[in-house]
Amino acid sequence: MLTCDTYHMPTNLRDALEIWSGAPEGSSLISGATDILPWAREGRAGDVHIPSFVDVTKIKELDGHTVANGRVRLGANTVYQDFLTDASLRHLLPCMPYCAIWFADDQIREQATFAGNLANASPVADGTPPAAALNASLELARLDGGNIKTRQLTVSDFIVGPGRTLLQPDEIITAVSLDAVAGYGGSFQKVGQRRSLVISVACCAALVKADSTGRYFDDLRLALGGVGPRPMRLTAIEARLRGERISHRTIDQAAKLAADEVASRSRQEYRRDVVIGFVKSALEEALENQPDIDVTYEDLGETENA
Amino acid sequence: MPKLKIELDVNGRKISRETDAYKRLLDFLRDDLNLTGTKEGCGAGECGTCSVFVDGKLVKSCLMPVAKASGTKIETIEGLAKPGDLTPMQKAFHKTGASQCGYCIPGMVMAATSALRQNPNAGIEEIKERLGGNICRCTGYTKIFEAVELAKAVIAGDMPEDALNEDAVGDSYIGHNVRRLDAPSKVSGRLRYAADMKMHDMLQLQVLRSPHPHANIVSIDTSAAEAMDGVVCVITSADVPDDTDGFGVFVHDQPIMARGVVRHVGEAVAAVAAEDLVTARRALSKIKVVYEEIAGVFDPEDALKDGAAIVHDYAPDNVVKHIPVRKGNVEAGFANADIILEDDFSTQQVEHAYLEPEAGIAYVDADDVIVVISPSQNITHHRHMLSHILKKPINKVRFIMSPVGGGFGGKEDMIYQGMLAIVAMKTHRPVQLNFTREESIIASAKRHPSRVHYKMGLKWNGEITAIQFNMLSDGGAYGMSSEGVMRKAAILSCGPYEVHNLSVDTTAVYTNNTPSGAFRTFGGMQAQFATESMMDMAAEALEMDPFQIRRINMMKIGSRTHTQHTLTAASLDRCLDAAEKESRWENGTPNVRGDKRSDLGGDDTRAPCTLGARFTSGKNSDKERVA
Repeated sequence: MLTCDTYHMPTNLRDALEIWSGAPEGSSLISGATDILPWAREGRAGDVHIPSFVDVTKIKELDGHTVANGRVRLGANTVYQDFLTDASLRHLLPCMPYCAIWFADDQIREQATFAGNLANASPVADGTPPAAALNASLELARLDGGNIKTRQLTVSDFIVGPGRTLLQPDEIITAVSLDAVAGYGGSFQKVGQRRSLVISVACCAALVKADSTGRYFDDLRLALGGVGPRPMRLTAIEARLRGERISHRTIDQAAKLAADEVASRSRQEYRRDVVIGFVKSALEEALENQPDIDVTYEDLGETENA
Repeated sequence: MPKLKIELDVNGRKISRETDAYKRLLDFLRDDLNLTGTKEGCGAGECGTCSVFVDGKLVKSCLMPVAKASGTKIETIEGLAKPGDLTPMQKAFHKTGASQCGYCIPGMVMAATSALRQNPNAGIEEIKERLGGNICRCTGYTKIFEAVELAKAVIAGDMPEDALNEDAVGDSYIGHNVRRLDAPSKVSGRLRYAADMKMHDMLQLQVLRSPHPHANIVSIDTSAAEAMDGVVCVITSADVPDDTDGFGVFVHDQPIMARGVVRHVGEAVAAVAAEDLVTARRALSKIKVVYEEIAGVFDPEDALKDGAAIVHDYAPDNVVKHIPVRKGNVEAGFANADIILEDDFSTQQVEHAYLEPEAGIAYVDADDVIVVISPSQNITHHRHMLSHILKKPINKVRFIMSPVGGGFGGKEDMIYQGMLAIVAMKTHRPVQLNFTREESIIASAKRHPSRVHYKMGLKWNGEITAIQFNMLSDGGAYGMSSEGVMRKAAILSCGPYEVHNLSVDTTAVYTNNTPSGAFRTFGGMQAQFATESMMDMAAEALEMDPFQIRRINMMKIGSRTHTQHTLTAASLDRCLDAAEKESRWENGTPNVRGDKRSDLGGDDTRAPCTLGARFTSGKNSDKERVA
């Protein structure tokens, strides 16, 4: 059972930073709350008392999103369901709807924020592989002599290990910025113990763009989750495939390389097998999901309608 | 504790209340506003019994701190229709029989309502996906999906409104869709389960449970807990008469609370009754129990070995019950066999996972009658046992069965009603205990884990000549329903097949694992898993069709059962005919047909689950597109 003495709901960033920096020891920032409530139960943390909660979800500066310089700046209040219901986000971040559909369920997605998912820094968070694939950076704000100071950290710098980030005690995540990659095909692969409401054992995000002929990889992004302490971008495989002729054989060979990236401590063999299948499926589905290009695989000599 | 001012709109009513800062929206709706149609099934966002609309978006109210709901517009199950009326969705649930225990149904109706609000044209796969956050344990979902599709058609005008009315019934109810009498109370959220009931001046009870599987209780110091503000009483086994303390379905081996020794993790050791839940929980941590851990036994085979830890003094061999069945001459049967197959089968512990966690209320009425209200599946027996334990005449103990939000055998054991009764007697105040989901899992009985050693002799023509069936079951720390489960497992052991020579032994033993008890089929499942697996393996060994070997051995009119009862009716022939036809069974030995069986797949089979139905739903394009 989770109890607290006070529950703050500041409506602007300055108030929030002031309350947060003055909050008693042991207080907690709270966003969607979908993770902390199940955590404070028997078998996990048990009964937990938090002096003060500072809830960020009513801070108006954290709402909405903007697009500039090829980047999408998602306010920290962006929830997972937005990736399914907001047409602009679907267009700009083509792998996110596929990630979102596998994340929890429709109801929890209405509350659970993308920023909160990254802040939890779980090695099996659904949000970290697409964040890595989209070159995510987090915007962190704090008060410095009465002024609001912000800094940016890439997601791979921000997450340092399971449950550990570089978020400082007086900081609040205000936004997550991602590459705007309209026109790419996106996909997300995930396996857990059941379909809905399940934590990943492993997951994989892909973004692919073929050239205008649909025959060559123009650009691609691949990232894995659940196979190590931090999200993992498969840059070597990306470099190998970029400019290559699209064929099932090429994809198969690239997929096999991914198995060596598995660094998790448990169920290594299983994860190696899963990762090979995931990279293959992720690339094929992302190719198929491109909005404007029909891909031709070389090996079969036939047009596969994406 | 500091209060929070909450102002919001609930079902069209403006509400302004002060409440505790830590409360969840679920607690606020149920405790502060008495809107108990919103249920708590897990408290962890897994089950969906607490789904409500917040500003038009469906959320799980167990995951929402109430502060977040301030300034919003809330819609609960109670607000969907006007009093006395039902929405088309609720009527559709009523029509299709989409409610059994009913505990998940308010949440299901909310999720179904949300699904069609989000997409009135949602196809069945999208409907399933949108209901993916809600769990039902009774219905199997089929009737729920039927209801959503029916409501969808009526709302869209594709079917007339009277399609929601009850089908006409002719001379017989059999073969007709008959509506459940209690369905309106369930689809509207009006039915009150034990945790939904409130009484004036009621205390909340919380239970301290053993962290050890086997330990002597050296001492229990409750003084610090009793000294806390708001704590009204703390009870232990010292509050129960020691010469009559003991309950169980067959053998009365379980004390109301651990008496001198704990025998499994999660056994009740003490309980605190307080003015509110938080105080009761905090008081638990003030109770000091000194344990002396002792050797335990955790494997049923180890329990039978010499020198094994003894779980109950009355049973030094750790045997709860052994049921032998003998028929014919097994040695002669095996001697007469052309082939003898031998194998081992095991099944695991299973939790019932009813959506309603255990809950109950007790009070003492003005005539000194101790009244216990709970979703007990066995109230008459509980009443008799409690009257004996409390040394009260039977007319001074009353059990009221509240609506059971799923039982499946898991609510047959009197694991908490005794504590409630004792607190009510000590305080003369009503007292309520609502289990958490975790507590329900740790403290309630499970399906018996079983191991079967099986030996089957057959003729080349498929006829069974003899069976030796030996089942060892882990009964856990208390007897509960083990005896009955072993009887049923023995009676059903060799399946619906006529076996002239058989030797069957089923044994349940005590261990320091979570107690095993009643669970749907009552031992039949474990036995049939072994027998039917054996039949398939025999078909493979004899290169026969699995239906054929079953028809050769099946019981018919005039057959004698394993326990020597002569059958005057039998229907397995018709059962097999129907199963063979409906499954489009491809005749032949199971292991020689490869992976391209003709009987897999087809219109009436379910494809593997996937997600993303909404990406293509309602679009004209034949391409799957998101962006």
